[in-house]
Amino acid sequence: MSSQRPRFIIGQPWTAGDWWRWGIAIALAALALIWSARYLGLSPSELVKGLPWIGDLVWRMFPPHWSFLKQLAKPVLETIQVAVWGTLFAAVLALPLCFAGARNFVPGWLFHATRQLFNAARGINEIIFALIFVAAVGLGPFAGVLALSVHGAGMLGKFFAEAVEEADRGPIEALRATGASALQVVVFGVLPQVLPSWIAATLYRLEVNLRAATVLGMVGAGGIGFELYSSLKLFQYQDTAACVLVILAMVMSADYLSSRLRAHILAA
Amino acid sequence: MIEVRGLTMRYGEVAALTDVSLEVAAGEMLVVLGPSGAGKSTLLRCINRLIEPAAGEVHVAGEPVPRDRAGLRRVRSQVGMIFQDHNLVPRLSVLKNVLTGRLSHMPTWLSVLQFFRGEDVRIALECLRRVDLDDRAWSRANRLSGGQQQRVGIARALAQQPRAILADEPVASLDPKSARLVLNDLRRAARELSIAVLCNLHQVPYAIEFADRIVGISAGKVVFEGTPAQLDTDALARIYPGLEDEPGSPAQPAPGSRHVPVELSE
Repeated sequence: MSSQRPRFIIGQPWTAGDWWRWGIAIALAALALIWSARYLGLSPSELVKGLPWIGDLVWRMFPPHWSFLKQLAKPVLETIQVAVWGTLFAAVLALPLCFAGARNFVPGWLFHATRQLFNAARGINEIIFALIFVAAVGLGPFAGVLALSVHGAGMLGKFFAEAVEEADRGPIEALRATGASALQVVVFGVLPQVLPSWIAATLYRLEVNLRAATVLGMVGAGGIGFELYSSLKLFQYQDTAACVLVILAMVMSADYLSSRLRAHILAA
Repeated sequence: MIEVRGLTMRYGEVAALTDVSLEVAAGEMLVVLGPSGAGKSTLLRCINRLIEPAAGEVHVAGEPVPRDRAGLRRVRSQVGMIFQDHNLVPRLSVLKNVLTGRLSHMPTWLSVLQFFRGEDVRIALECLRRVDLDDRAWSRANRLSGGQQQRVGIARALAQQPRAILADEPVASLDPKSARLVLNDLRRAARELSIAVLCNLHQVPYAIEFADRIVGISAGKVVFEGTPAQLDTDALARIYPGLEDEPGSPAQPAPGSRHVPVELSE
């Protein structure tokens, strides 16, 4: 009868030592989580007490001020422009750098140095870059474009470099064997292989940049974020609602268009 | 045309080639026969220095293969190469793949902007006609069948207007009919254009049918050299040690016979 009993199997049977190790690890993790919850003041009762206020805020957003949309036309356009130029500069920066970040193309030290550079650019949030560039070039969308360029170059550089690493070595060897120059080998042997995934990554970055560009305005780096932020500060919650809806529509249509385009490019 | 003397190559402790010497004359098709891992691919890649040999000399057209980049590119441009997996650039058109055989004759800046001289395009199309694929010039290379792609690979090598061609197991992944088409194209090119062809094969019947001369390699050493007629069971036993134990092996032709086994005929 015991052979009929269901057995719980997720791997090799655990020894007493395994049970101890896992037990201690889980207990430690639970303690750390409880301590940080206390520290942060996470409290369900506060949330319950605050619910009416949240309801009140949402209530005050209705109906959204549709007339505010007219004033949003320019900020929306600016947001899109910031995202497009930020993506373009990021791709232009990543293009030459990615070869230095491809393991099989350059000596090890250069590969590691380039990848660390990409990591640094990627590791720092756009908003932080925006604050730095606002200090450097002043308030306005240009600072936003620069912030998106640097952060995006880190991500695209890594993507581009990985595509180069994954390119089939066969055609590259064949081109070397014809006596082609190094640049010719790259243009005819590597580019045709990596271009589709490069374009797909750039489109994805455009999508991400559009989302990022909607908040850059909060630190004065251009785009619709400024309107969102100031309407909140001025307690014009119906204007805020219009902003949020416009951002939602913009981001969703960008996601839809970009994913359709990417699917089309990668399938071709 | 190709002269190899005392070529030696090792990967770490493993000797890939030991003191290999051979010659290929213009217009001759020399088949290097041997089991997988015997060092055939290494031998080929040492000739155009895709791999740097440990010792030995290689002469192409009477000239030692230089080490400097410019000199090496000049020699490589005179030596076409054909690969087991054809190594076409998948997303480029057939014509552009063949045009890449002309790259070493073009100014780099014009070619990377995708400008090609009319003369280069004419040569590429003529090479495609030689392998009977000129009607597929604008197809994407990866839309063609395996055999067709390999023939485009031959056209690419011919577009270099080479003095020698190195073919590395060109028919290993092809069906018998495509394989014979490819080897036919190769031999015809060698004879008509007086190109020295050095072709690696591991199928004995193909070697016997298509080779002018055969060099047998086993474990990195030359163990046979002669005409297909001289390739007897004794020689085969040296190239493929242990083969004689397998009854009914297709690799045992009647000694001195140029007859092709039935299953390979079209």
